[in-house]
Amino acid sequence: MLKNPQHPKKGNLRNKECKFSKAGVIYIDYKDVKTLQRFTNDQGKILPRRVTGTSARYQRQLTKAIKRARHLGMMPFVAENLR
Amino acid sequence: MKKNYYELTFIVNAVLDEEQIKASVQKYKDFITNGGAEIEEIDEWGIQRFTYEMDGKNSGYYVNAFFTAPVDLIAKMERQMLIDDNILRFLTLKYDNKMLHHRDLQKKGKLPVVFEPREKEAAEES
Repeated sequence: MLKNPQHPKKGNLRNKECKFSKAGVIYIDYKDVKTLQRFTNDQGKILPRRVTGTSARYQRQLTKAIKRARHLGMMPFVAENLR
Repeated sequence: MKKNYYELTFIVNAVLDEEQIKASVQKYKDFITNGGAEIEEIDEWGIQRFTYEMDGKNSGYYVNAFFTAPVDLIAKMERQMLIDDNILRFLTLKYDNKMLHHRDLQKKGKLPVVFEPREKEAAEES
């Protein structure tokens, strides 16, 4: 794929690094909704690892934290974006 | 009796007036302390809006508490909360070593920052 010079991704193929391991996070708390919201799209869905580049360990903690925040009404299950 | 470190967050029905909310929060504080727990910190966030409608209500009085309690107290407390219809939702977490380490950092205020607040967010906060 990359040997072909005309390939669209030729120039900008950089692997995304995990935000949590870069910051050295130990436990993702379900209360800091501001950080968690950065990992959900505008419909309130959790973004997949291939988009955010988070490592597996933190993605598991992240989904658990988001689901706890949703249970307590701090994060939406379905965010209806105002059409 | 073995003791563990727990975090409890529960939501009191905001439709009640001020005294009833304080009374039900106080009821659970006493329930825990009588059961032999030491409450380390209670942080009441006050009335917050929900992101979705929860059995007909759009806001609730949030209470967040950290305490060490004997093992069998949690089941009794949760049973009380299930029966009590002033409490909309509750979430109890047992803290393991990783979360305890996180809690110590939080107390010392040296939590790792994942996202620096961007200019527009920093402007809102400051």
